[in-house]
Amino acid sequence: MSDSGRILVVDDERQILHALTTILRGAGYEVDVAATGAEALAAATIRPPDAIVLDLVLPDMHGTEVCRRLRQTGDTPIVILSAVGEERQKVEALDAGADDYVTKPFGMEELLARLRAVLRRVAPPGEPLHRIGELEIDVEQHRVTFGGKLITLTPTEFSLLRLFAENEGKLLTHRTILKRVWGPAYQVEAHYLHVYISRLRQKIEPNPARPRYLVTETGAGYRLVNPDDQ
Amino acid sequence: MSTWGMSLSSSRSMRRLARLEGWQRHALALACSAVAVGVVTVVIQLLKPVAPVISLGVLYVFAVLAVAGVFGLGYSVLVSVASMLAFNWFFLPPTGSFTLSDSRNWLVLAVYLTVAVVVSTQATRSRSRADDAEQRERETAVLAELATALLQGGKIADQIDEIGRRVALVLDADSARIELGPPHPAGPHESPLPLAAGSRAVGTVYLPDQANPSLRVRKRFLPALSSLLAVAVDRETLAAQALQAETLRQSDAAKTAVLRAASHDFRTPLTSIHAAVEALEAGSIELSETDRRELMTTIRVETERLIRLVSNLLDLSRIQAEAAAPMQELWTPDALVAQAIAALGGNAGDRIQDQVATTLPPVRVDPTHAQRVLVNLIENALRHSPDGEPVSIRATNTRREVIFRVIDRGPGIPADQLEEIFEPFHAGSDGGGAGLGLAIARGFAEANGGRVWAESQPGQGATFAFALPSEQPPE
Repeated sequence: MSDSGRILVVDDERQILHALTTILRGAGYEVDVAATGAEALAAATIRPPDAIVLDLVLPDMHGTEVCRRLRQTGDTPIVILSAVGEERQKVEALDAGADDYVTKPFGMEELLARLRAVLRRVAPPGEPLHRIGELEIDVEQHRVTFGGKLITLTPTEFSLLRLFAENEGKLLTHRTILKRVWGPAYQVEAHYLHVYISRLRQKIEPNPARPRYLVTETGAGYRLVNPDDQ
Repeated sequence: MSTWGMSLSSSRSMRRLARLEGWQRHALALACSAVAVGVVTVVIQLLKPVAPVISLGVLYVFAVLAVAGVFGLGYSVLVSVASMLAFNWFFLPPTGSFTLSDSRNWLVLAVYLTVAVVVSTQATRSRSRADDAEQRERETAVLAELATALLQGGKIADQIDEIGRRVALVLDADSARIELGPPHPAGPHESPLPLAAGSRAVGTVYLPDQANPSLRVRKRFLPALSSLLAVAVDRETLAAQALQAETLRQSDAAKTAVLRAASHDFRTPLTSIHAAVEALEAGSIELSETDRRELMTTIRVETERLIRLVSNLLDLSRIQAEAAAPMQELWTPDALVAQAIAALGGNAGDRIQDQVATTLPPVRVDPTHAQRVLVNLIENALRHSPDGEPVSIRATNTRREVIFRVIDRGPGIPADQLEEIFEPFHAGSDGGGAGLGLAIARGFAEANGGRVWAESQPGQGATFAFALPSEQPPE
């Protein structure tokens, strides 16, 4: 599959920059490069890319800061490159507006899949019907079916599933989920988020012990995916 | 405290006498003086028939002697005069009257007074020498006990109150509080005495305001006490430094061992990758398409092995540096297991038989840590299981914990190695970073208040258990 669009790659390691450029060009993208946060912000202003691949550790400023500044002016999708041991910074960057991440050393296929997911137009919240694999969510009717079979959800479970459906394939951080489902004043629920997700899985996953729709990004968040796309 | 003896009980009675309130002391001295004169008078009366009365008058010297020895000059002069008067009244004619016209009376009085002055001066001097010797003995005893107690290795902080009590005895105060280090402001009704060893300020003794130890005692005792405390403080500091140095040395040795083992584990995949790349680049070697693909696979597999090794080393260093601060959240046990199986990648999940009830209570844990523990235990089990044999995962709960068990059907673990296998790169490890997996699992479990241990019967496979504290689920 050949992709199209312009990607801005930001990394201060020349070897990685080189490898990424080669891979992305090979996949059909146009590629701009930047080696510092300042260069990245300038490049994004002069020639707005369709998506940005951003290393967390840059010589002049932290990737989280770059995310925050990029988000002040627009919503270009951002995929973070993070290393083992940078889990906390990764979550900070996601909360600062990054859309997804891959962990270094990353696989080429994984990176391309993430880019495709963030580039895909996300269904607008008003959409009444979501079909993800065998899962069908009718927002207006508050009806959820799996393979045609009706599933009964509590109001909280339905709000959760609806949020995921409207962001199909996208990583949702814990904070995003909590804010969007329970409102900005969430308190107690923060402790129980994973327990609620676990209960939702018991209802929508064909085999809850091997979740294929609602997958965990350990330490970062969750995403709802179509298993047929994987 | 066994090191504190009982040597301070001697001659309490004398000290008690010295400590009596002024008026009590006077009353006692007067009473004793009266009794002494009375007794001698009675004795002379009894001896009168057998000796000339005038020569018996010398017996009053005993009364003067006794009082001079015990109560000092003042009372002995009083007794001299009283004796002379008594002798005059009872025995010198005309009896029943004080007639001092006789020159013999003056002579008698002069003899008594001289005896009184000489004896009481001597007695006072010897008494003060005895007091001084006794005080020195007390000081020496306290210092010796202090030296023994402090140098035996006890902590100064634990003994400072007892030392204070002993010092109070020596300084003749009701209590004494010792503070080491720079002086603090004295409390109410307290006066500070600095403890200095040479030019070094060791601490301060705080005495109640009414205590007033003699300058001589202070000059003699406090420097000795200060020196001893200084030595004890130094000894304690040095011991702490030595312990720290030893800890550092040990952790250094451990790091060197890990580094040595790790560089061995790095070399193997690097050698394979290096050889494969050279073969692919070399123009002189004819490679079939199959050969090329095999070399590529070698590079990929060995690279993945290196990645795993690096991330394991990183984890280990974070655990050892206690930098793996957990971000604990509530998770259901089944979700943790599902997530670990998903993280295994490939089709490793096909060999796993997991039965984790969804009704188990949630656990409080950092999910990334829990995942590392479970993945490492499962990978270890897969590695030690014969090909095709499944690995089972079970979970049970006690009142306070959820216990995950990863069960393999491999050769099992001898009883004497059930603990050893959790050491990084222990002898039985098979390289590839695998020797770190169990150590990391245990480290992350413990960082989250959990435990990891091995249960095994040789020949019956091994079971690795991972316990985490559980919580009540939400309504």
